[in-house]
Order: sequence, then structure tokens, then C-alpha cells
Amino acid sequence: MTIVKSAGDMYKSQRSGPYKDKSKPTDIRSSNITAAKAVADAIRTSLGPRGMDKMIQAGNGEVTITNDGATILQQMNVTHPAAKMLVELSKAQDIEAGDGTTSVVIVAGALLEAAEKLLQRGIHPTIISDGFQEAAIKSIEILTNMSAPVQLTDKESLIKSASTSLNSKVVSQQASMLSPIAVEAVLKVINPIRDTNVDLKDIKVIKKLGGTVEDTELIDGLVFTQKAANINGPKKIEKAKIGLIQFCISPPKPDMDHNIIVSDYAAMDRVLREEREYILNIVKQVKKSGCNVLLVQKSILRDALSDLAVHFLDKIKCMVVKDIEREDIEFICKTLNCRPIASLDHFLPEHLVTADLVEEVQTGDSRSVKISGIHNPGRTVTILLRGSNKLVLEEADRSLHDALCVIRCLVKNRALIAGGGAPEIEIALKLADYAQTVTGVEAYCFRAFAQAMEVIPSTLAENAGLNPIQTVTELRNRHADGGATTGINVRKGAITNILEENVVQPLLVSTSIITLASETVRSILKIDDIVNTLK
Amino acid sequence: MSTVASALSVGGVRNSGTPVRTQNVMAASAIANIVKSSLGPVGLDKMLVDDIGDVTVTNDGATILKLLEVEHPAARVLVELAQLQDEEVGDGTTSVVIVAAELLKNADELVKQKIHPTSIIAGYRLACKEACKYIQTHLTANVDELGKECIINAAKTAISSKLIGLDDHFFANMVVEAATAVKVNDGKGGFIYPIKAVNILKAHGKSARESILVKGYALNCTVASQAMPKKITNAKIACLDFSLQKSKLKLGVQVLITDPEKLEGIRQRESDITKEKVLKILAAGTNVILCSGGIDDLCLKYFVEAGAMAVRRVKKADLKRIAKATGAAYLTSLTNMEGDEQFEASSLGEAAEVVQEFICDDELLLIKGPKQRTASSIILRGPNDFYCDEMERSVHDALCVVKRVLESKNIVAGGGAVEVALSIYLENFATTLSSREQLAIAEFARSLLVIPKILAVNAAQDATDLVAKLRAFHNSSQTKKEHAHLKWYGLDLHEGKVRDNKQAGVLEPAISKIKSLKFATEAAITILRIDDMIRLQPESKEDRYKNYDGDY
Repeated sequence: MTIVKSAGDMYKSQRSGPYKDKSKPTDIRSSNITAAKAVADAIRTSLGPRGMDKMIQAGNGEVTITNDGATILQQMNVTHPAAKMLVELSKAQDIEAGDGTTSVVIVAGALLEAAEKLLQRGIHPTIISDGFQEAAIKSIEILTNMSAPVQLTDKESLIKSASTSLNSKVVSQQASMLSPIAVEAVLKVINPIRDTNVDLKDIKVIKKLGGTVEDTELIDGLVFTQKAANINGPKKIEKAKIGLIQFCISPPKPDMDHNIIVSDYAAMDRVLREEREYILNIVKQVKKSGCNVLLVQKSILRDALSDLAVHFLDKIKCMVVKDIEREDIEFICKTLNCRPIASLDHFLPEHLVTADLVEEVQTGDSRSVKISGIHNPGRTVTILLRGSNKLVLEEADRSLHDALCVIRCLVKNRALIAGGGAPEIEIALKLADYAQTVTGVEAYCFRAFAQAMEVIPSTLAENAGLNPIQTVTELRNRHADGGATTGINVRKGAITNILEENVVQPLLVSTSIITLASETVRSILKIDDIVNTLK
Repeated sequence: MSTVASALSVGGVRNSGTPVRTQNVMAASAIANIVKSSLGPVGLDKMLVDDIGDVTVTNDGATILKLLEVEHPAARVLVELAQLQDEEVGDGTTSVVIVAAELLKNADELVKQKIHPTSIIAGYRLACKEACKYIQTHLTANVDELGKECIINAAKTAISSKLIGLDDHFFANMVVEAATAVKVNDGKGGFIYPIKAVNILKAHGKSARESILVKGYALNCTVASQAMPKKITNAKIACLDFSLQKSKLKLGVQVLITDPEKLEGIRQRESDITKEKVLKILAAGTNVILCSGGIDDLCLKYFVEAGAMAVRRVKKADLKRIAKATGAAYLTSLTNMEGDEQFEASSLGEAAEVVQEFICDDELLLIKGPKQRTASSIILRGPNDFYCDEMERSVHDALCVVKRVLESKNIVAGGGAVEVALSIYLENFATTLSSREQLAIAEFARSLLVIPKILAVNAAQDATDLVAKLRAFHNSSQTKKEHAHLKWYGLDLHEGKVRDNKQAGVLEPAISKIKSLKFATEAAITILRIDDMIRLQPESKEDRYKNYDGDY
């Protein structure tokens, strides 16, 4: 805050005073860099398996405990515009790769620090910026060279990479249990025809309080968090015929204000009777089609299901689940392979789908409806996540999301590289070598870039309680001797061949860290003025 | 850090590193300190007065913490923990909070000795896993071996720490009987005990010992009209979830009459619609009508004439349970599949007797001998309202315990026996490890001792002496085969001695111990992992901030 303000003050004074160039852009730049570095520093401690969590109390008193870089930054509400760019960067990494949201910000911070030093030497920002871009391209080349291809059938490798991601989270102890779930879930939703991407929307994570994280399960079928709307209706239906409707079973209402005028007592009966007939007509159609499980979309205009309708549906022994959110409809359709029925005329037997069993089950204190044994199921899965308190549950959800993203990255780009700081050190070494072969200012930029990459292993070591300098130098030494896969084994507190420890990560995560971080750094470097349009 | 923190312009306060951890641990300890003195059979009660002056006197950890309105986020984790234990297990809410706080306190000590929190976390997790395994394999006893007596004993143990502890035998029997009365086959060869089906009513006046268990369902309602019979044998019950009032037309329907004569017709019709309903119900042979809505005085006439009993404004939850117990259909409407109104005799429930009785100042309706399921209700009596409220919570705890024991069929000895046994076991287990986790596991073992210690302190006994004795007993039980029976030894808090608690009948459900250990560990770990706390400014101020930003 203070620095921005001082820059702003200066800006005002300059406008009135005589024109002075040079000092202003430099100040703006350094202010931007300091702010961005501060953001990186803020989340440094949460990197790696030994990283810690942050507790954030939002303005409305809500508390979040998390270790996920993107979530921390989003919650933190930073005000400085340059710092906001790093927040955006973290979000971009979250969208692109899902994992490595902390690393990307730390790398960007380190690059900015390097840039600052170069600026002090009097190198022009655009040259630094171009140099960094070339270095980033070169780094990706290095990474690609050291990666190993992986097949989707090789479940073991997939599980390994998911565990690597989960190990840094609060659920690290359950990593051995959650990572197979994540792998299983992603593999299930891959479309064999277009198997280069996965839509994570096809994996539904349902959070339910109570139990511990160990009770999390992968559900084959569909689970609704709400209970059946029936009062006397069945709680368990075998050989279910399921219909998904988007219309309401309640007295209709015209859009305009309306009045029905009754002028005769006989008409009163008719009004009452008409309502019953209307609903009965719908229910009869439901019965005729043989449907015995009805899923009803939520309606905001009127009751999706009137009491009378429930009464009738009870009578025909049809289970009803009401208040299904509109955004869930797509998922349900995909899972059941059905079409939502938007009008009564289409409520025909051919639009229904069958499942072996639909039942209301008790989990903890609440009840939920579970559909299993779906005939002709779609490519979707549901994960029921459990946790002993709300904060753990939410963090578990974020962690699981990261693990799912890691697997998705592997589907997109089927290559793995070693984790534990190994790739970063390798880049640092190779890039430094490369820098020797070029002449001119770029060589400086390359060297600075290479050095900046060392921030990842050094932070990992620091968080694990190791001596960062000793660790990084030893790593450098081992890598120079050709051990491209040596990294920091945080668990043992030593430097080992990280592949043997099963610490692997997708190539896509690392490459996206480097491209996104260097691009953001470049755009920050190019800023030499902040203009606030007056309100 | 301070310079960086100022550059990182967060709209709020940010703390990081050791101060945060210490602060969190302090907050957690503060919470534990509040409930500490209410642990155990000789624990004391708390009186809580809220902002509108409502008074609660209680000994139940979850209730105390719920009423406290804790603000500190880390402390709130502990409050949630107690609530979770209450929901999942029902008993042991105080001990779970105390254990979690003690785990945190000891962890903080370790951190101060430069052990990385993640090592401590790993150690705690391992210790918790080992402890749960050990409870299951070594410390449990099967209910079937011990006979029915042990179920009563388990209930007694739960009650003994409460206000009604003096009458523990009386209440334990009552609770066990009530729980067995609502036994339901779950369809998979086992039985479940839906203790929610035990209706608990409170009425102040008379002493606690005069509480009664009623076979059947007690309702806090009276018949709608004094002219109705107060007792009906062979009752045929209709459960209606709609009102029997003059019918009102839906919104948007207007009555427009041009002829004044027709007005009378409309009026007549209004009451006739309901009258027809009532007559249809009575025609099926109904003699008890329970209605969740209102009943017009006009309609009462028909019931009185038919000699039926009608009750209005029955709570929906009660009505549903009665419907289940008597086999009645829970009707929301009388409409049949043809769109006509009809009341079928098959939707009637049956009970041996429905009677209105005068109990204390109030008249209660008792439904005795329902056809489908047995039901039971407990009517609690106490000298004042606070006493009754606390009795209700105590009976609820005891019911939960009985349910757990009956369903899981495993029990452990109480009085600190499990905690001490685990601490000895874990200490030995820690020495077999050569990794960093060793210290954390040893601390975990030490933290568990907090339960027997506080138990002894609350009972004004020599904690050091008793715990040392108890540890010696358990140590020899785990090392010498012939002393294996010593594992049941726990504290006798009234005598200040160590005794075989299995024989003395101080028993707790095993599942409650296992769950509370798991929950406490998970909560402690959640808090321990935090090394940074950011408090954002309340949102109301934020707008001002934005404007301020726009100015520079």
C-alpha cells in the first residue's frame, strides 16, 4: 500500500512540476516488482510436502484453511495492481494445469528479482524481456528432453504422479487411498475417440460432512444429496425406470396477473376439481410410461412439486427426487444417458432409462438417494468426499481437484518428469551452460534466468527444514555429474534419485509454470507507468 | 518480514510463523480449559446466560461450546469438533476437545524444540492409527459375553457424570428399556435402534425420580373439544397432514356474486366441502383423528357426535412417527387416483388404547400399544426447567451410548483405562521407531494421559499418584502375560483408588473412543498445519477502501 501511494504522490507532483524522465518509470517498475515479490513471498512457505497451511479469515468472518496457491491468493484480496497480476497468473495456472499454482508464483517472483538486478546493471527492460522469453523456450526444450513418455494404461505411474500432488496437502496421509480414486475417476471419463482431453465436469465431487477423509469413496452411479421427496412412498426401488423432467407438477400459473372469477357455488367445486384433474393427468402419464423414479428440476417460479402431486406419486409408488439444480441436469443426463423431458407430451417410455437399484441411504445424520447399476451408463463418475470438519472437507476437495488436474495433464500431454526440484536444477545447469555459448547482453539474461530457477529447490529445502545452500549446491553437483533425476527427498531429508522415490509430475505442469511465469514477468517489466483514470 | 508485509497490500492483518501457531494453540487451550472442569463423574456444571437472559445449566461439552459463540477461527475448529462428536457419537464431547487441545499444546512444545510441524503431524497420524488398531484388538470386550448387565452399566457410566448421576441406576434402566423398545430390524439380519423414535417430554414439578417411561407414544396435545371422550380403546387412528377448516380458494380466485341469494350458497358450500371430508373419514370407522393443521369448531361437532377423538396442531415430526408406529398412512390429501375424495379404511392405524392423562400440570395424550412397532416415551420430571433441560441432554447422551453399544456390540473399560493403556503402548511403540516421528508419538502418548489426570483432579484426588499407579498396572498387563487382566483397570474416582473397571461396570462403547481419537487427531492436525493467518477487514469497510484506492 505504502509504496503504491508514494509512487502515486510522486506522479502527482511530477505532473505539476517540470518534466523529469527516467526516474518515474524506474520507480514504477521497482514498485511493481516489490509488490509482486511480496506476493510470491507470502505463499513461499506452503510449497512442497512439508509446506504449511494458511488460515484466512474473510471479511464476512468465514474461515478458509488451505495450502493451494491459487486459493490463498484469491482469498487474500491484494490491492496492488501488479500484485493482482500474480494472482491472475496463479489462477491461469489453475485453469491450464490445475496443479503447481504455488510454484508458478514463486518462479515469477524469482524471475522478477533477477530482472531487478539486471535493471540495476542498466540493461534495458525490453532486452531483458526478450532474453527471458528465449530462455523460457530453451528451458521447455530441456524439460521435454528429460521427460519420459507414459501410457494411460500404466496406472502405476499415474497413481505416482497423483500422490506427488496430494503429498503436499492436508490429506497427505490418505494420498495412497485418494490417488487411485483420482486416477480411476479420470480414466473412466476419458472418451476413447477423443482421448486428448478430459472434461473434469464429468467428475462430480460431493462433499459430505462427517466421517474422516479415509471414508471417501468412488461411486459407481449417481448420488443426490437430497432425500426422496416422498412421504409414504417407497425408499428402495429395484429395476428402476428413471425419468428426468424439467416441468413442474403443480398448479400452472400464467405469466400475467390473473383472476379466476367464481360466481356460483358449483363452480367452487369445479375449481378444486380442476386442479386435482390437472395434476392427476400428469401423474397418470407418468404411470402409463412405467416410470417409477422421477427426478424433478428445481423451479424458481413455482413449486416444482405440489403437496398433492407428492400424494399421488406416493400412491403410484413412484420415488421422487426434487430440487435438482439446473447445472446438475447436464451431468445427470450424461451419467444416465437420458434426455431431460421438457414437456408432458414427451413423457414416453422410450425416454426413460433403467437402473438396477435406486435407494435412499443414510449417511451420518442425513439421507441421500443413490442410483446404482445403471444400464448403459455414460462416462461420468461421482466421488463422495468425507471429512471431519468443514475446513478439512473443503481443503480435501481442493486437493482432490489438483490430483484430478494432474491426471488430466497426463492425458493431454503424456509425459512425466521427475519432481522434487530436479527439473528446475537441470534447467539451471543446462541454461547456464548454454549462456556460455552466446555473447552479448542475452548471455546475462540467460544466466539470471538460470539462477532464478533455483528458487524452487531452495524453497523446498527451506520448508523441509534443510539447509538451502548446502542442498542446492549438492544438487547442482549431482546434476553436473549426470544425475538428471536427482532431487530433494523431503521425507528423508536427503538428496536421492527422485524417480526411485516415486515423486513424478506431469511435464505439462512444469512447462506451463515456465511459460506462464515468464510471460507474466515480461508484461510486468514492460510497464513503465500507472495511470489512474479519475472517477 | 514487516517491510514485505506492508508492500503486500492486503486489506487486513496478516500474521505468520510461530506467533500464529502459538496463538492458535492458546485459543484451543482456552476452549479446553472452559470445559475441563466438567469432565467425569465428579465434574461440575456450567451456567451460561445468553444475551437475552436465557439460562442454561449444563455439563455437556457440545452444548457449552455451542452457546459460547467463539470467535477465534482456530478455536472454532474445536467447537465444530465437539459438535461433530455429538452428531456422530453423541457422547464424549468434552473429552474429544480436551484431547485435541492437549495434542496441540504438546505439539507446540515440540515445534519450539525445532521439530518441523510436518514431522509431528506424521507422528500423530501414525500414533492415531496404531492407537485405534490397539483398541480394537486388545482393549475391547464383547457385549454378548458380558450379558445384558453391561448395557445398563454403559448407560450408567454416561449418566454418572451428569446432573442425574445419583439416580444413575434408575435412569440407566429406563434408557435401556426405551432403546430396546424401538428396536427395528434393518433388513440385513441386524437390528438398528433409531433413538430419535424415543419421545422425550419434559414437565417440571415433582422430583427427578418420578420420571416415567411410557410404553407407547406420548403427545403433548389435548383433545380439541371437552365434549370428546378422554379414552378410546381399540383406537383406529387417522393421521392427517392438512387442516379441517372452511375451505379457502387458492390465491387468484375471486368470488364475484351478483345475486345476494347466491352468497348464502357459497358460504354453505365452503363449510360443506370440509364437512364432506370429515364424514368420509368418519365413515371408515375412524375414532381418533390426529391433525397437523387446525380443526374448525364447526367440524368438531361432527366428531363429537360420532364419539371420536380429534386432536389438532400435532407436530409433523410426531405425526410421522405415530403413523409409522400405528401403521397409519400419513395423508396429505384425500384425493384418490380418479380425482375424487375418498378415505380408505386401509389408511387407518391401530392402537390398543388412546387416552388423555393428567400428568403434572399438563394433560398428555398417550397412544398405547400401537400395532406396527413398539414405541416408547420418557416423561422427565424435575424441580425446574433448567433441571429438565439438562436431564433431557443427559438422557439423550445415554440413549446414544446404549444405541452404540447395542449396534456395535463392543465396549471398553472407562475411567481412563483406555487412555492409560494406549499411552503405555504408544510409548513402547515409539521406542521401536528410529525416525523423527518417534518424539511426536511419545508426545501423543503423553497427551492421552490428560484424561485420567483431569478426571482425578476434578474428583479432588491426587492425580500424580493415581495416574502413576494406573500406569504401573497397565505396564505390567502389557508386558506380563499372567497380568493381562490388569488392562481393565481404571480410576475409581469416589474412593480415589485404582480398580477393575470392567467388573465395576464403568463401560463405554468402543466406537465412541475410536471416533473421538480420530476426530481429535484430525482437528489437531488441521490447526497445526497453519503457519499464516490473514484476517481481512470486514466487508463493510471494504467499499471505502476501494474508493481510497481509486484516488491515487
